[in-house]
Amino acid sequence: MAEAEAQTEEARSDEVQAEGTAPPEDRPPRRAAGGWAAWLGIGVAVVLALSGVLAAWAALNDDTIERAETRDAVLVRATQHIETLNTLDYRELDAGLEAWTDASTGTLRDQLAGVPDEEKQMLAEQQMISSGEVVEAAVTDLDDDTATVIAAVEVTVTDDSDPDAEPTVKRNRFSAELLHEDGDWKLESLQQVSVSLS
Amino acid sequence: MKATTRWIVIGVLVGVGLAGWGTSWYVYQDAASQNAALIETAPTAEVQSQVTQALTQVLTYDYNDPEATEEAAQRLLAGDAYEEYETLYAALAEQAPDQQLTLTAQVQAVGVTELRDDRAEVLVFLDQSSRREGDEEASVSAAQIAVGAQLDGDVWTITDLRVL
Repeated sequence: MAEAEAQTEEARSDEVQAEGTAPPEDRPPRRAAGGWAAWLGIGVAVVLALSGVLAAWAALNDDTIERAETRDAVLVRATQHIETLNTLDYRELDAGLEAWTDASTGTLRDQLAGVPDEEKQMLAEQQMISSGEVVEAAVTDLDDDTATVIAAVEVTVTDDSDPDAEPTVKRNRFSAELLHEDGDWKLESLQQVSVSLS
Repeated sequence: MKATTRWIVIGVLVGVGLAGWGTSWYVYQDAASQNAALIETAPTAEVQSQVTQALTQVLTYDYNDPEATEEAAQRLLAGDAYEEYETLYAALAEQAPDQQLTLTAQVQAVGVTELRDDRAEVLVFLDQSSRREGDEEASVSAAQIAVGAQLDGDVWTITDLRVL
């Protein structure tokens, strides 16, 4: 195809050289046809290029995509944090409590950071190992820096003081509020959705 | 313009165009943007409210008026959800009159996890109280349900119910 085009181009430059000698009624339509095709080709390419640039610009600046990504990030972080706050091993109490404070912010963080020594003592003596798993979670509200997530959680509790005890599984449901802070989402509150019929 | 120059110009322009459209396609291919939950707020709210209403109607039962529940189930449930409900309902309809059973459902929280075109996945926290004849108080149970719903016209029909 390129060859063919080059040939017509040659033909045209011959034509230009031969200007004045060629029959006048022959020239204008042929030149117009070659020029028309060339400019059409360039025109189509320009339109394609412009529309492509616009499409890319629109896609990259589409804030619904950013919002969708934020929503998914919130869900991932909320799931991790809710699991963390439902997980505690009496053998690694300090590490567990530290993970709790790392996952939280605001008053919740203050509460979790301020677990009194007596309570830690009690937790250690109870010899419980609990492990939380979020079975399903959904973001219910989303702003630039706050979000609400609901989560169905399965907590497996093992009583390590009794070697014969089977782990028990508790199903809980939580509502959590998250705050966007220093580039990360952290739990500002975590509450059980209690049964209440009105 | 020389032929080769023209072809180079066309080639560059086509390249830019394709790169642009490719970028756009790639961005929208991204899984996050395919899910309209909370992005398109009006449809999200619509799914939430319809699924809430549907579940409330279908899981509320009065032995005096079992037809209301049956009618709601036929209208609002489909597929697996309807079949499961039928099985449950058959057992219920047998015992309910003797026990004078009433069930009351109330949704506590609801969130849309997925919304694309005419399909939605919804997480529902629901309370159900049941009262039998002679019961001093209703007994209340909490449930977490994953709901799959399908849009028919402008009605969301529940096709899957999974108690978590």
